[in-house]
Amino acid sequence: MSDKEKSQYGEGVGFERIRRITGYLVGTIDRFNNAKLAEVNDRTKHSYGEN
Amino acid sequence: MIFTVKKRDGREMPFNIEKIADAIVKAFRASGELEEQIKASQTQLDLLGGEDVLSSTALKVAAYAVGRLEAEGKTKPEIEDIQDAVEKALTEAGYGDTAKSYILYRAERTRVREVNTRLMHTLRDITFSSAKESDLKRENANIDGDTAMGTMLKYGSESAKHFYTMMMLKPEHSRAHSEGDIHIHDLDFYALTMTCCQIDLIKLFKNGFNTGHGHLREPKDIRSYAALAAIAIQSNQNDQHGGQAVPNFDYAMADGVRITYRKAYLNNMVKALILLTGKEEEELRPIVKKLHEEMCEMGMVATLVPNEKFVQTEARELSKTFSVEVVMGAQKFAEKQAYEETDKATFQAMEAFVHNLNSMHSRAGAQTPFSSINYGMCTDPEARMVMKNLLLTTEEGLGGGETAIFPIQIFRVKDGVSLNPGDPNYDLFKLACRVSAKRLFPNFSFMDAPYNAAYYKPGRPETEIAYMGCRTRVIGNTYNPEHEITFGRGNLSFTSINLPRIALKMKSIDLFYKELDRMLALVRDQLLERLEVQSRKRVKNFPFLMGQGIWIGSEKLGWNDEVREVLKDGTLSIGFIGLAETLVALTGKHHGESEASHKLGQEILQHMRDFCDNESKRLNLNFSLFATPAEGLSGRFLRMDKKKFGIIPGVTDRDYYTNSFHVPVYYKISAFKKIEIEAPYHALTNAGHISYIEMDGDPTQNLDAFEKIVRYMAKAGIGYGSINHPVDRDPVCGYVGVINDVCPRCGRREGHSIDPQKIEELRKKFPGMPAFLGIR
Repeated sequence: MSDKEKSQYGEGVGFERIRRITGYLVGTIDRFNNAKLAEVNDRTKHSYGEN
Repeated sequence: MIFTVKKRDGREMPFNIEKIADAIVKAFRASGELEEQIKASQTQLDLLGGEDVLSSTALKVAAYAVGRLEAEGKTKPEIEDIQDAVEKALTEAGYGDTAKSYILYRAERTRVREVNTRLMHTLRDITFSSAKESDLKRENANIDGDTAMGTMLKYGSESAKHFYTMMMLKPEHSRAHSEGDIHIHDLDFYALTMTCCQIDLIKLFKNGFNTGHGHLREPKDIRSYAALAAIAIQSNQNDQHGGQAVPNFDYAMADGVRITYRKAYLNNMVKALILLTGKEEEELRPIVKKLHEEMCEMGMVATLVPNEKFVQTEARELSKTFSVEVVMGAQKFAEKQAYEETDKATFQAMEAFVHNLNSMHSRAGAQTPFSSINYGMCTDPEARMVMKNLLLTTEEGLGGGETAIFPIQIFRVKDGVSLNPGDPNYDLFKLACRVSAKRLFPNFSFMDAPYNAAYYKPGRPETEIAYMGCRTRVIGNTYNPEHEITFGRGNLSFTSINLPRIALKMKSIDLFYKELDRMLALVRDQLLERLEVQSRKRVKNFPFLMGQGIWIGSEKLGWNDEVREVLKDGTLSIGFIGLAETLVALTGKHHGESEASHKLGQEILQHMRDFCDNESKRLNLNFSLFATPAEGLSGRFLRMDKKKFGIIPGVTDRDYYTNSFHVPVYYKISAFKKIEIEAPYHALTNAGHISYIEMDGDPTQNLDAFEKIVRYMAKAGIGYGSINHPVDRDPVCGYVGVINDVCPRCGRREGHSIDPQKIEELRKKFPGMPAFLGIR
């Protein structure tokens, strides 16, 4: 591996983020349609401390 | 003088009065207004004939129209100007009927033109924009719209939708669909096939099957069982557009484990005898093989958990040839080895199965099959081995540690079988929770929910509830109560109602129900229309689904028979979206924030469900109420309603309508409260439902809480549920878990580079780390 290659190792590589959409999993958020993307961004966590 | 005409696309063309006259001739022909004059001219033996009266009159009208344009100073008229002038000229010349047919002709031309332009625009969008820019290309998130086959699929699908909308749908259904009152799902397959099916693998494997080229024999090993399961799912996928489910994965694969163990036991018995007696294999194998065959005929076989009858009989018989010590030693060795080998083979089989279903892009070349498998109820040791290994390989992930996105796995939860400590499959339930906490699958289905338990008959796996695809559920059967089972049945088609629109339009609750009834009737008619199209299909149109007897009753049909009768075992489903927004529009609050709205929400769904039940009885078919998955729909309805009604807080102020009966995703609520609120809606939506809980942080670090949520679902009467949590992965170091801005394992930021030396050091600590290929 050249020095240049070493300094670029992993550059431009994003994280994969798997989410569930309507019931199945999608390996990358890039493929979500605009509406579903908005929905995923709006999702709030549900607390489970009580009960 | 007019020399040029401006066309619709802006180009200028030489003016030609003949073209105007031609259109007028057509209008005269349609109206018949010149009929008498033509006849009169013919009886006068006018040698020039009737055509001449037509064209000369048309030319006169055209000339008059052109004269008007010139008088108005329009020397470069546009097409629309000319058509306006012709309309006026016809009216003024006293040809009122012809003017009317000219207007109709114009309107029809406009429609055709728009249709063609819209299709061309769509095709252009598909061709030239990347999926990142084109929402259309991301309509379905598991198709890669950038690939050749993904694009071809989209061409086909958009053109087909177009064709059916123009040529096949009744105008009122087509209008309701295009205006967004309803949504006819999978319209691109309207005239082709049904949605989905639950495949009974045991029935299919018996005697083998045929996928179109070459016969596949009955499998003889767990690895071939799993391979054939994937092939069956894939083959059926090409006959249907929706999900393919296996309702009895544990039961079916257990048979494969049994055969594998028997073979492994025989082989290891021979091996042990070779070692212990010093004799040759050629001598020993026939002895053991013959004995096993004879015992098998008497119903005695080697089993994963050794059964006394077999062990004792084998020992007695072999002791006639070998010493007791040798026999006992050999048995012990064979049992242990065979178990280990079978376990290993089962793991490999499950690993390959999952890999296959994630990598075979066999669905129109652009998608992996939409597969689901249900399991959890079978308590046989062989089935338990299958489930354990399936869960373990799912936990491990694919080759590079990636989370498998198919098959959708559904673990059946039942008191006395898997839910509670002491239940035979409780250990597997615990494992299922652990795996789901890391990989999002399995989901959980609840056998004890009263509406699921109602169908269950112990000892009959076909009566265990199954879910398929996103959430579809098919078990009840009004048409044939003897077939209240999952095997061989599926949904035929479904159409969803835009509930929030009805609320926005009607405002009062009384009027809401009136309009809802109108929509329900419209959707019922549309589903029946589609059923008629489907019913005319023949077995040969579904070589696998019907030709191989997957669909219930199809095994009795011939290649050229209509599928009409057997389709009646399927379901016609009426779906909906946005109950939350509907309730806000009607009452100001959704069901998560107000008890009264929650009550109204249940009343609305009960009303829809009653309609389905009544129509099922009246028409002797299976109508059911569906909590639609709505992927593309969530934005489509919303965009139209935003345009129509403006931005209304809590209703149209976001980019999507809330899924089915869900409490809005943005609403702060505890997991337990959400489960309590959504559970009663599961009971009403007999065509399918799912509830999600979004769990914070890394649930693998809090398995007790994870299990507690699943147990609460069981208690509250949820039918099908799952827990969402972020599953992120850094492809460079292979870390899987929650990643915010920085990867917790290698410390890399998204898109940044990292010293390869650091990765090598990490590899010493995490030996399973995948190799990262590629510098960028």
